[in-house]
Amino acid sequence: MRAVHFCGSCGKVQPPVPVDYFTFFGFPRKLNLDTAALEKEFYALSRRLHPDVFVQANSEERAWSLEQSSMLNDAYRTLKDPVKRSEYLLRIEGVELEEQSKQATDKARATGELKKQVVPPDLLEEVFELNMHLEELRVQKKIGEDDPALLEEIGKAKLSLEEKYDALLNELKTQWHEWDKSVDGRTEYGTEEDRRKILGRMLDVLNRRNYVRNLVRDVNEALEN
Amino acid sequence: MSYSDKVIDHYNNPRNVGSMDKKDTDVGTGLVGAPECGDVMKLQIKVNPQTNIIEDAKFKTFGCGSAIASSSLATEWVKGKTIDEALEIKNTEIVKELALPPVKIHCSVLAEDAIRAAIGDWKKKQEAVKPQAVQAAQ
Repeated sequence: MRAVHFCGSCGKVQPPVPVDYFTFFGFPRKLNLDTAALEKEFYALSRRLHPDVFVQANSEERAWSLEQSSMLNDAYRTLKDPVKRSEYLLRIEGVELEEQSKQATDKARATGELKKQVVPPDLLEEVFELNMHLEELRVQKKIGEDDPALLEEIGKAKLSLEEKYDALLNELKTQWHEWDKSVDGRTEYGTEEDRRKILGRMLDVLNRRNYVRNLVRDVNEALEN
Repeated sequence: MSYSDKVIDHYNNPRNVGSMDKKDTDVGTGLVGAPECGDVMKLQIKVNPQTNIIEDAKFKTFGCGSAIASSSLATEWVKGKTIDEALEIKNTEIVKELALPPVKIHCSVLAEDAIRAAIGDWKKKQEAVKPQAVQAAQ
């Protein structure tokens, strides 16, 4: 289904309806998205909705074209980017990262079971180690010393993180296929519980990816300063 | 946003920073991370196996002031407690004590996770050494 942007009989611009971005473009809520089709739709719609077209129109239509255009831009920017698209899907499916982490902690407290950490232990070890090195580097820079071995160590860790970062995008795409199959209503993915599981795994991948991204940023900052 | 006096105090004078030998069977190590901000927190406890009392605790946290204060406070609180008492510590108590704003609640969640992870690690080690102790007694 696609949101109605223009009146079916008179062709005039309509007030924006509160729909999700997929519906705005008339796409199913799937993650393997035809970006060429998206772009085509975007340009076609932006030509018709652009406020410049409505200079002569009444104030209501001018306001609607402005609102529609701004929603169009947000929708396009969000859906075009693979990570933003995934994060957006999670949001409209009601998956909240922090809320989930808190609930897991509450559950661990109530049941005595260990909470499964979003960030896997081996990555945490690597991160901790790297942070120790970065701290050392900052101290050395402060006193004006230079340790080539330390810099090499940090460089290696950074490379490993960048590889992980790329690998996580592929992992995310694997989950896209799972999700899209569930949208297609294939029976083996049909239940709500299965859908939640797929979304949970996607959240997991995105969390790890953000974590790695922040770290690479920290490393770059430490190396530059 | 400004930090509360208690957060600043823990940040400027963190209690119990350091590390212990993680191979020691009386030591439990919890290493946790928050993907929201990239914080990483290591909390270690040393437990008396006879009394189950946490006799010492150390931490090292890379992260914001609230994360450092939360873990510093956590080490203060677990010291002298039994394992079971330490498992009663709730993140909401840390939030209250440090007057953490809503955007920093995840720091307190992380500190609670770290305590639990450290205790979990210690328990696992104890179970691993216990069978030998039982055999030796027979």
